[in-house]
Amino acid sequence: MDLAEANNLEAAGMAGPPAKSRAPARRHEHQRGYVLHTYPYSETSLIVETYTREHGRVPMVAKGAKRPGSALRGALMQFQPVAFSWSGKNDLRSLTQAEWIGGLPGLAGDALFCGFYLNELLLKLLARDDAHERLFDCYEAALLALGGGGEEAGVLRGFERELLREIGYALNLTHEADSSIAIVAEGRYVYHPERGARRLEAREHPDFEISGRTLLELDTGVYSTPQTAMQAKLLMRLLLNHQLNGRALATRQIFTELQQL
Amino acid sequence: MSKSLEFLTEALRRLPGVGPKSAQRMAFHLLQHDREGADMLSRALHQAVSAVHHCALCNTFTEEDVCDTCNDEQRDRRLLCVVETPADQLMIEQTLTYKGLYFVLMGRLSPLDGIGPKDIHLEKLVARAADGLVTEVVLATNFTNEGEATAHYISEMLKARGIAVSRLARGVPVGGELEYVDPGTLAQALQDRRDT
Ligand SMILES: [Zn+2]
Repeated sequence: MDLAEANNLEAAGMAGPPAKSRAPARRHEHQRGYVLHTYPYSETSLIVETYTREHGRVPMVAKGAKRPGSALRGALMQFQPVAFSWSGKNDLRSLTQAEWIGGLPGLAGDALFCGFYLNELLLKLLARDDAHERLFDCYEAALLALGGGGEEAGVLRGFERELLREIGYALNLTHEADSSIAIVAEGRYVYHPERGARRLEAREHPDFEISGRTLLELDTGVYSTPQTAMQAKLLMRLLLNHQLNGRALATRQIFTELQQL
Repeated sequence: MSKSLEFLTEALRRLPGVGPKSAQRMAFHLLQHDREGADMLSRALHQAVSAVHHCALCNTFTEEDVCDTCNDEQRDRRLLCVVETPADQLMIEQTLTYKGLYFVLMGRLSPLDGIGPKDIHLEKLVARAADGLVTEVVLATNFTNEGEATAHYISEMLKARGIAVSRLARGVPVGGELEYVDPGTLAQALQDRRDT
């Protein structure tokens, strides 16, 4: 590592004692995955945050990726499947090869923004070096749906729910918390991030109440009215914010700013 | 550490890629081994900060109100090309095929880095494109996802105001043999194929 790279590592808040080897020190070849984000590391290198099917989130250094004509650059695009090869066992692995696999339509317009949002959720909520194969497949399906002009809100809600399930906060949308009483469409509920739904008494009026219909529709992923779709969005936001623990989502903020233009 | 030294270290950390340790190294170096250089740096920074600002029309760096390019009478005032950086503008100039004017965003939308519309002067661009002379805005942001997102939002904004917008074409490079073109580029070229 040269001095400039050490400096950048330091600036990126990633310096510190050398990582105790959590991951085994071996080479991995042709692992299917995606680039979630890249940022500059040195004059010529990038840090690539990848999400692979078999190894989860793996951060890597792509040496020389910023040089003009680097073969890596075309392959290191988000939202396209890539075959990654890497070596090393430290906090930052060395990317040895990235091959474009293709086969997804690519994102454009608002769908592209949804893609950035999914990537930020993965970066902020998923621990490194934990495989989440089911979530990976869900991510890939979401990209495919977004690229094919799928209805964005439905795709996002489905992915958010799967992500929460994978990190240990599966939603119970069919029954009241700690009980076998089924949620009814006509009921009014309040949803506690860790416990689940509780039916409201007639006299109760909390800041954010949710209809039984919304809970049931969130479970099936099919929304009958704009109101239930909006409530589902607000509920997922509440639950994600709880997991984010005060950290803001930059994509959400910027999307709001763009809508105001 | 002395107050002034601490202040200098804090200031140096403002530079991209400079952490606390390297900022301290730089400060020690300047004060111990290169006082003349330190003085030069201080004067150059002071001068640049007070003299250099954004061109009122194209947003690039200039020491005048309006830069030389925007003042050039020979240019076609109906065409406005939007680029991310002054370096990109230079590349387009070197093609010798574009005779219009420019708008330099000085960046691109990058949601995950928190770079939004305010950081790339979109309001100034809209005002510039609506001057009554511009009839076509050519979007020449990069073909990265961030560049595409930037192009998309600019395009939506301008079209809503009745301004015609075009996007740089992409595809196989000049002299490119298909066998050696990367598959991503080839896929795009297929998607963007045109009638002959
Ligand atoms: Zn100018």
